[in-house]
Amino acid sequence: MLVEFELIRRAQQGDSKAFNDIVLAYRKRTMGTINRLIARTEDVEDVAQEVFLRLYFSLDQLRAPEVFEPWLYRLTVNAAYDYLRKQRRRPEFRMSDLSEQQVMMADAAAGGKVEHDEQQQKKLRETVDSLLGAVSEADRVLLLMKEVEGLSLRELEKVYRVKENALKVRLFRARQRVLKAFETEEQKGQNG
Amino acid sequence: MYPTRGSGEDKLDSLWRAYRAACPDREPGANFMPNLWRRIESRQNVSFSIQRMVRGFVTAAAAVTIAIGVYVSLPRTTPASGVSYLEALAEANSLDTPEIVGPVRLDWNEPGR
Repeated sequence: MLVEFELIRRAQQGDSKAFNDIVLAYRKRTMGTINRLIARTEDVEDVAQEVFLRLYFSLDQLRAPEVFEPWLYRLTVNAAYDYLRKQRRRPEFRMSDLSEQQVMMADAAAGGKVEHDEQQQKKLRETVDSLLGAVSEADRVLLLMKEVEGLSLRELEKVYRVKENALKVRLFRARQRVLKAFETEEQKGQNG
Repeated sequence: MYPTRGSGEDKLDSLWRAYRAACPDREPGANFMPNLWRRIESRQNVSFSIQRMVRGFVTAAAAVTIAIGVYVSLPRTTPASGVSYLEALAEANSLDTPEIVGPVRLDWNEPGR
């Protein structure tokens, strides 16, 4: 836990200062999780604010401060899932949609030369994002919570309020689909 | 980057690890907290307006219910009050009342027909 139980109890009783302190303690970690779940750096802050907004209005429903972290993860998972579903309905804006001149202007505005590391990280994010296209938004979030966030099945059980066995089956199927997409991509890379 | 040798499962695990490393926890911008409080206040205002509207509707509905209740429970003075059912029936259908008078018989042997 990043905060004392007492702070959570005070926030539950409507203490704004206590709520502020909770957000300050958890915002960095929450933003990191959202960043990895949605893979759109520009919208991370917005989704994180939505998480804390939901937290503010649902804090009185929290049974005990001991389950605060799974509760916050649950809100994070739901907000990321809602965002991903909205994104699917919205046509995606890509750099390839821009004219050459617009790309040059965008590059100049961004400070010109992009660092090699950043390019590689961007490519990695795109690769993972593309592989996760093989599964639904719900499975994508579940898989990332397990494989990238490193939550155990027991922790996921608390977050999702679903039996461990059901989660295992769902994770196995999602992982198999992503693995298949991964191997297909690799094969394409070797042939091409 | 992640290794390109090994089984698919291993490579996928390495890919997750590389992805985790490529996306570390992020520092929020300077306006994170002010923007969050602004959103909370704006949502509170909306919910406060809705609550006020709902409270208004509930009050109005309660007032109408009470008014109807009072109206229904008021004692009414009807002409039949204090009279038994049979008496009221007899009064309504006295023998002079044309509806219960027997059918008219026509005499076909009436002269002139």
